[in-house]
Amino acid sequence: MIKKLIPYIIYLITIVITYYAMQICGFKIDALQKGLQDSFVFIRQMFPPSWNDFKELLIPTLETISLALLGTFLGSVLSLFIALFAANNLTYNWIKFIVRSLISVERSIPELFILLILIAAYGLGALSAVLALMIGCIGMLGKLFADAIEETPSSVIESLKAGGANKVQIIYFGILPDLMPKLISYSLFRFEINIRLSVLLGAIGAGGIGYELDYAFSMLQFHRALSCLIVILILVIAIEQISIFIRKKLAIQQF
Amino acid sequence: MTFLYKYKKWMIALVVLFAMLLLTIFLKIDISVLFVDLHYVTDLLNEMFPPNFSIIWENNIVISSIIQTIAMAYLGTLLGGIIAFVFSLIASNNIFRNKWISNVSKWLLSFIRVIPSLMIVLIFVVAVGPGAFAGVLTIIISTIGTMGKLFTESLENLDPTSANSLRATGANKLQIYKFAIWPEFQPSFISNLLYCFDINMRSAVGLGIFGGGGIGYKLYLAMRVLHYKDALALITCIIILLLVIENISNFIRSQILR
Repeated sequence: MIKKLIPYIIYLITIVITYYAMQICGFKIDALQKGLQDSFVFIRQMFPPSWNDFKELLIPTLETISLALLGTFLGSVLSLFIALFAANNLTYNWIKFIVRSLISVERSIPELFILLILIAAYGLGALSAVLALMIGCIGMLGKLFADAIEETPSSVIESLKAGGANKVQIIYFGILPDLMPKLISYSLFRFEINIRLSVLLGAIGAGGIGYELDYAFSMLQFHRALSCLIVILILVIAIEQISIFIRKKLAIQQF
Repeated sequence: MTFLYKYKKWMIALVVLFAMLLLTIFLKIDISVLFVDLHYVTDLLNEMFPPNFSIIWENNIVISSIIQTIAMAYLGTLLGGIIAFVFSLIASNNIFRNKWISNVSKWLLSFIRVIPSLMIVLIFVVAVGPGAFAGVLTIIISTIGTMGKLFTESLENLDPTSANSLRATGANKLQIYKFAIWPEFQPSFISNLLYCFDINMRSAVGLGIFGGGGIGYKLYLAMRVLHYKDALALITCIIILLLVIENISNFIRSQILR
């Protein structure tokens, strides 16, 4: 009897929680209808994009791409270095435990807040954004790289050790050659994410196309904003396709 | 040529390094600041420590904005998940037998997926005004994009035998949905939703900065008016919150999928 009721109790609890959540967020059905209508009207007002602005948007777009490139490069180098301390075939267990928990703490901090802290330290600008992207890589790439290093067959490490190789030689000759395709493919995947992030970080004030978008919105230049949106969409799709293409060439299974 | 071949690895590394150097020049970044001039960081740390945890219990704005953030993520996940489920029923071509419509909706889903959430939140903030409502709408849209794809894939991988045998006994479409597709799909539905809730918590915190409301907005304000001690306390709160939710959702997912 009670077992039959359990799904209904769960449904009831869900409905009650949803009701209170709607109250907290000011979410009403009529507001939803009006909001969606207003959004469509607003999107229609944004058309047509101002075609003349595309030329001015070239430099900011290049800035966004180079922010993401630089952040991903520095981030993957740093993550590789950290991952060496998080793989159990290279370090002691307690170091692995500490480093892995630091990595997962980093993963839970949104990149936006890393950027806000860095802006407080280094001021607005490209440097803070690059550093934020770099630190943001650690959470994901550090874990993926460490897992990939742990997959290295222990026979390789054992035989190098037997040949008298030291730690650096083991890493250089035993682990890196196997790791390279995975390393590049993971970094490319992170690059896709970083392109989106660098647009987002730009909107806070790091420069680039995201900043242009936010500025156009705050200046109520909605036609220009639409041009920015088009550029961002093309950028994101193009980078994703290129990265998927290269990853397929590297023959690592996709995410 | 043999020389080039022998040092190919080093050549590639050099070229990459040189390209990165050019990028730093293009962006007018001075990386050496990080290693030479440490006073930026030490100044900030001096201002941030000790974190002012008393703001959490001094007034209940912090707690209520944390609850608001959780409510945003919850509503966005639930409503977005339901819409995404309906969408994916249409988009998976083993359930909806019209190839054209399912392909068009698949295309639509992947289009929604590539739109950065920054764009969506900016549009909604102008349309419905800043606040938690705009944040919820943004999360709903991005959830439709991510979950729609996952749901479509798992629906297309369902085992067709039970649906076929139901059809043989004369069940109609609705009955097939209810008794064959839904029971088989439910565990992955719930575990994907939990995973998505985890992601949406993060974006709910982040959206606060662009006018989405919640704890993210409070943190942004604290940083803006240079109250770094409050900001550090808020950041600590957010990290603990996100870690707790991640672990709870991982635990429930492992229980469901067992």
